[in-house]
Amino acid sequence: MTHPDVEAQVDAYLDGELAASDAVELEAHLAGCAACGRFRDDRLALRKAIAARMPRLEAPELLRGRVRAALREAAAPARARRPAPVLAWRWLAVAASLAVVAAGSWRLAVVRTTSSNLADEVLASHVRSLMPGHLSDVVSSDQHTVKPWFDGKLDFSPPVHDFSGRGYPLLGGRLDYLDGRPVAALVYGRRRHVINVFVWPTDGPEGIARPVVRRGYYLLHWATPELAYWVTSDLGLSELTDFAGLLRLGDSAAAASQPSP
Amino acid sequence: MAAARHIRGPVLEQSQLERFEAMVLPHLSAAYRLARYLTRNDADADDVVQEAYLRALKYFGGFRGEGASQSRAWLLAIVRNMAHTWRHRHRADASATEFDETVHSEATTAEHPDALLSRTDAREALAHALDHLPPDFREVIVLREIEGLSYKEISEVVDVPVGTIMSRLSRARKRLQDALIDSGKEL
Repeated sequence: MTHPDVEAQVDAYLDGELAASDAVELEAHLAGCAACGRFRDDRLALRKAIAARMPRLEAPELLRGRVRAALREAAAPARARRPAPVLAWRWLAVAASLAVVAAGSWRLAVVRTTSSNLADEVLASHVRSLMPGHLSDVVSSDQHTVKPWFDGKLDFSPPVHDFSGRGYPLLGGRLDYLDGRPVAALVYGRRRHVINVFVWPTDGPEGIARPVVRRGYYLLHWATPELAYWVTSDLGLSELTDFAGLLRLGDSAAAASQPSP
Repeated sequence: MAAARHIRGPVLEQSQLERFEAMVLPHLSAAYRLARYLTRNDADADDVVQEAYLRALKYFGGFRGEGASQSRAWLLAIVRNMAHTWRHRHRADASATEFDETVHSEATTAEHPDALLSRTDAREALAHALDHLPPDFREVIVLREIEGLSYKEISEVVDVPVGTIMSRLSRARKRLQDALIDSGKEL
């Protein structure tokens, strides 16, 4: 039989929460009492088992996105919804006209977009889309279902691809509102990550902006002669760049997905 | 002017939201773990965490603590309260609250728990035993064993005196050990 009043003390002792004087007294007792000594050993074994075997869960990425979106949404009434400043876009245009680099058939303009309000808008939209029920208006992995869905809803037809052969399946699409106009949002997946592609017509210069990092999300931006693109996800930069490459290739070649060899 | 702003509700500057995110978002996984162990369900844990963060944001103006351990204890207290509210709403914990001490009393430690664990599916046996602790016991175990909080921090999260935390932890461990031994006998 252990001494009942000793049990709680043993736990506190092992937790490092027992006052030094009490600890000395307890150690003396444990040395002389076999039952209490065994009790301590069992407790040590239990705590070793818990430390080794209890799953130390990490919050899922989707929850992170959800919480951020909810916080932003809650804070939003204070920050009046302001019309989208197009400053960043202007800067891009100016810079692109100054520094245009030819790279194959693709004219490359690497531009520094420092404080871009449009990037904030894109990110807010991405995060909002991660909230339950906000991701897609049309849920389909079939580009021939998603693309026609936009007919009559937009004044342009966004390019839609399915890169599931390359590990980026099409998940769906929805209407969104960015830069002061309705835009197409296409949703792609990568494992459990969500990629949002925002597309809208532009007559600005073509070019590729430098990747932007905001709150753990990467944002890629480029423009063809007709369309402006923003791509964002919590994916790593290399995978997101890989995806953007597929998207640009698919768009410029107007080709469907190619299964990987 | 300040009063008028106050009446309209919390006015959050962008910088304050950023401060909140910088201080409180790093504890998301700790919040998730506590919510997950208390609700024992992924979807409910998500909801509890989200509600807790919204509540935390709302009361962030009144939070005077500093440093990671204080903001963590503060957030976990909110998560814990949200989880208990959730439990009362759903009453899903009936089986756990009916834990009968007389059934599980004075189990002799004939078998070494560690030996038992290596024999059975250890992870599952432990998770099962923890899931079937009454919530008051489960939360102190999670806060101590998984989050590594001090008794004082736990007493802030759970809002009971340190002495109560000490005895509650001891009783929780006893139940955990007994339950593990019991489940070992069934196998």
